[in-house]
Parts: sequence; C-alpha cells; structure tokens
Amino acid sequence: MSLDDHSTDAVLSVRDLTVSFATRQGVVRAVDGLSFDVGAKEVLGIVGESGSGKSVAMYSMLGLVRDANVSISGSVLFEGREILGLSDADMQSVRGGEVGMIFQDPMTALTPVYTVGWQIVEQLRAHNEMTKKAAYERAAELLAEVGIPDPKSRINHYPHEFSGGMRQRVVIAMALSCNPKLLIADEPTTALDVTTQAQILDLMGRLQATHGSSIVIITHDMGVIAEIAHRVVVMYAGRPAEIGPEIDVVRSARHPYTWGLLGAVPRADVKTRRLVTIPGNAVSPLEVPPGCAFAPRCQYRMDICEQRPPLRGAHDHLDACWLSDEQRLAIRSTATVRGES
Amino acid sequence: MSDDVLLKATDVVKNYASRRRVKGLRTLNTAVNGVSLEVTRGETLGIVGESGCGKSTLARCLVQLLPVTSGSVQFNGVELTTLSRRQLRPHRRQMQLVFQDPYASLNPRRTVGDIVADPMRINKIGSDAEISSRVRTLFETVGLDPSSLRRYPHEFSGGQRQRIGIARSLSLNPSLVVADEPVSALDVSVQAQVLNLMTDLQDEFKLTYLFIAHDLGVVRHVSDRVGVMYLGEIVELGAAEALYERPLHPYTEALLSVVPELNDTDAPRRERIIISGDVPDPSDRPTGCSFHPRCPAATDICTTEKPAFVELRPGRFVACHHPRNVDAVALTT
Repeated sequence: MSLDDHSTDAVLSVRDLTVSFATRQGVVRAVDGLSFDVGAKEVLGIVGESGSGKSVAMYSMLGLVRDANVSISGSVLFEGREILGLSDADMQSVRGGEVGMIFQDPMTALTPVYTVGWQIVEQLRAHNEMTKKAAYERAAELLAEVGIPDPKSRINHYPHEFSGGMRQRVVIAMALSCNPKLLIADEPTTALDVTTQAQILDLMGRLQATHGSSIVIITHDMGVIAEIAHRVVVMYAGRPAEIGPEIDVVRSARHPYTWGLLGAVPRADVKTRRLVTIPGNAVSPLEVPPGCAFAPRCQYRMDICEQRPPLRGAHDHLDACWLSDEQRLAIRSTATVRGES
Repeated sequence: MSDDVLLKATDVVKNYASRRRVKGLRTLNTAVNGVSLEVTRGETLGIVGESGCGKSTLARCLVQLLPVTSGSVQFNGVELTTLSRRQLRPHRRQMQLVFQDPYASLNPRRTVGDIVADPMRINKIGSDAEISSRVRTLFETVGLDPSSLRRYPHEFSGGQRQRIGIARSLSLNPSLVVADEPVSALDVSVQAQVLNLMTDLQDEFKLTYLFIAHDLGVVRHVSDRVGVMYLGEIVELGAAEALYERPLHPYTEALLSVVPELNDTDAPRRERIIISGDVPDPSDRPTGCSFHPRCPAATDICTTEKPAFVELRPGRFVACHHPRNVDAVALTT
C-alpha cells in the first residue's frame, strides 16, 4: 500500500503536505511530505517530539499559519473538497463549523473578558441562523453534555472561575457546538493532571461515540495515543516515520525512531529497567540531511540511508526506513527494543 | 535516630496567608499539612502528586529554602529549623537542588563554566586552578564537552541545560540531591537520557535523591520508595514496586488506574477508576479525610475523623479508614 492517491472515503485526506518557512538562516521545512487519511468515525493520533511539525501541519491546513514567509504545498481534501488555498471567508465556514478545534491551553483558547456562554453563543450564531435565546439554550445543553455541573448558572461565569479541567470541557463544548465532522485536538490533555486527563479522554471517547465525529489528536505522549487512537502517525523532523493501526505500531513498531520513542517511556504499569535512549538531540530544522532525517541518530544506519526512504509497507502499516523485514526481525530478536509483540 | 537516616522530617507544616476571607479575616492556605518522612542514605525517595498537592513546597521546606510553620527537619542528626542562616551554611553544602525549568534556573548572563564553578567559589573551596579543573571533570561526568565552558546557557538545548544544572548540583559533593521535576520540561527521548544519567551518578557518587515529580512512570522508574501526596499530606508511602502493584490508598489506586498505558501486551488493563471533581481549595479543606469528597470508598467516618498515618504493613504507610488490597499485601512484605 502507499499514500500516493487521495482516498475517496476518507473525511480528511492529506497528500504530500509541505510547509516551509523562509528564515534568515535558510529555508526551514517544518512539514515535509506528510500524507495520511482520517476515516469516518476514526481517531487518528499524530505523535512526535517538540519541533517534529505535528502542530504546524494541522494549523497550516486550516489556514491558521499566517506568515509572509510561509509556503504551503500539497493537497488536503476535506470531505472530498480541496481546502488548501481556500479564501479566508470560505475557510472560516470550515473552521469552527465542520471542523472543531481543541487547543492545549484552555486558558488561552478562551478570552478572559467574556463569559463562557457568550463565547459559545458567538460561535453558534456565526455558523447557524439562531436567535440569541435559542443559542443560549443550546450552549447550556452543550455545557451539560460535557459534564459541567449546574450549566444554567455556570454559563454566565468567566473562564477564570473554572478549574483547568472544567475550562477544557468548555473548549470541547465550543468545538462540538456546530456538530463538526472532524475534531482536531492539539495536546488537549498536556496541561492537565493525570486524573483530569482521564476525565477529559473519557469524555472525548464518549462524545466521539455519540456524535460520530472523526478526531485527529496531536500529542507527544504515546500513552495517550494508546488510550484513544485507532491509528497513529509518528512524525520526526517534519516527516512521517511510521503510519499504522495503533496496536500494530505499539506492539510491532517498524521504524527505529518509534522503537526509541517507545523504549524511552518510563512506565507506571510495569517495572522498567534501564531506559532506551536515542543518542543526540533532535535534528535542527535547518540541518535536516537530504536522506533519512533520522539517520544521524540511528544505530542501524546503512549507506543507503543517504537517500530518502519512501513511505511504504504492507496493508495499512507503513514506514519510511530502508531496513528490510529480515533485518528488522534480526534486530528485534537481539536488541532490547521494546514495542515488539 | 538511626545512622542510616540522612533526612528526617516530623510533622512539617507550611501555611501561607490565603486571599480568601471568612468574616473579614484571612484564612490559611495549608500547603503542607503535617508531613513526616525519612530518607535513608543512598536511596531515592520519590514524591508524586498532582499540581498543587504541595510537593514542591515540601521539598523547599526540607532544604530550608522556605521556613517551616511548624515541625522538625533533621539532616545528619542536626535540627535545621532552628539554625540561623550562617549556621545553616555548612549543612546547605550537603544538600543541593536540581530545578524543573532549565531555562529559568541558569543565569543567562553567566557562562556555564561560571555557573558550575560558583558554588565552589562562594564556599571558598579550592584554588582557581583546582576549581577550573573540577569544572572540567564535572562537565565530562554529566556528558558535556568541556570545550563549551565559555558558552552561555542560551546556546544549549533543554537536555544539555539540565545536565549543566546537575553538574552544578554536584560541584560541592553533596550527600542529598533534591530534584524538583527535573525532567518534566524535556521531550521523552531527552528525558530518558537525563534519567539514565541521574541513575549513573547516584551509583558513582553514592547520592541520596529526593525526587519530586507528577509523572507516575518517571517516579516508579527512579524510586526505591515512593510517597503519594494529596492536598498537602502524604497519604501513602511504601516501597515503589509494592506500592505500584498493590496500592493501599484509594487515591493511589485511582491515580495509577488512569495513567495512559501502552497496551503492548495481552495483559488486561487495570480497571480505570475515574475520580470526579477537582482537588479542593487548600484554604477550605474538607473535614475528616481530605480525600473523602472524591473517594469512591468513603463512608460516614471519613467525613468526620481524620485517618491517622499508620504503618499498616511493614514498610507500608497509609492514612485511610478503608485501605484497599489489604488482604493481598502480605504481613511480611
């Protein structure tokens, strides 16, 4: 299988998305040839470390990267319609309407000077013909749906009067307000404590089941991916390193970077001995090598790695690595690579 | 006090004046509410808890960066809370800190070589030549190139800066290193490098760690024993493996059950216990057990009577009227 042509039945189909910024030091390719599909009612996780391009990829396809020095290429089909290069007005009907967004920090996603009710109503009325009264009633219903106690009075409260977890619930209520087909959640639980994170992931899972939206969740935490995602894209240096069903990527990862990422996580559920480390630091976006971006840190580097590996694989589990299946088997039977089945 | 105990805290309380007023009077925010613990030489004691539980305040009280409101802190058998600043100095050398934010904890206007040398200069240890040679050794110890001594903090990545912070903490040969969220600002692959480094240094220099973090996986990985904090109190304390496998306190049990797991084996996932609500306001703490409004096991007694912090099984301390897994935790462990 490959990701050359657009998938016809996907809600979101991204092909060869490339986002580059012209800087004084040279051109930075923040996203470099990213392709993936999100099916109906599917939860897709995009995982990567800071600077891997996971957020900028999503922001740029929604027209949220406004920079004179940016250039975006590729193709992004949302429900079969090209959305890259849409006018601001057209994009505005997509954002917040058919595509809902949940941001990492709920305090900055909400304006502090208006009540949460006002903010939800504004969004409802921007995308629907509604009276103010009906919109306020709908907003209260939404707050109740995301588990905010006493929504009729809480609707008149300001964001600072809510706790972090409750604020994130308000942001989720806003994202859901127009019954979006697709929800994009950028690190929705990173700023939250683990018990609050559990509440929010649980809520997102339930809402996804009732509303039937597709979700793209961007995170650095493989655990969150394992908890909620059906499929995963592992990103490194702006490029997809591996794409596949969650269970396959976690249990039989194919890319050496994914091996490192899985082995580096200290676990709460089992005793970890020495952590697997990836030597060196993440590659500077100005110095990404022309071949495999991970090669300088990869202990299985070969001569061919000076050429860029294609994203390929069997069925729906793809990876961008030159190792052959035999080599991978040999490595995983000897090395302390976790993530194997 | 046994010779093996390096640090002993008894009933440490830290109050702050709260902004909340009741009948015009300011109430008290009890950030640390009667914590007792012992840190044994050579061990890593992990303190884990959610934000606002008082774990950082506790750490700062233990090393006397904050004055305690009441209670006692003994280090090497010496009571620290009654000492003057001058009297504290020789003891301070023995306990060093590693901070969370490697961007905020290094002076941007000093070279990293100076940053690591400063503790030795301040304490007048060694000649200039000796200090300079020790700085080079420390850089090598923490895996940094000594040729970068003259650079400034902004020229280093987050992981490298945390290595500089660790080198600084080691410069006075401390016996206790208090690390407050030392890896939470780092990406997972860099976090693994720093955790492995800290483990190696502990073996090499026979260090004792007090390791504070919110990440349950990180704490399990580094700790010999673990204390779980909730609303300024240690609710459970025990050997790391035993505590993670069979938690006694319902809060610990719920906390562990909701950590996202990599389902990389066919072993069944822990049943998730999602506790509702938020942590109460520390200036308005619940009566009885602080956890009772959110506790799935709470009964009437929990609302009225504060549970004592007792050694329920050898080495396993818990403050709960209805501890979990009691039958499964053998009397002899």
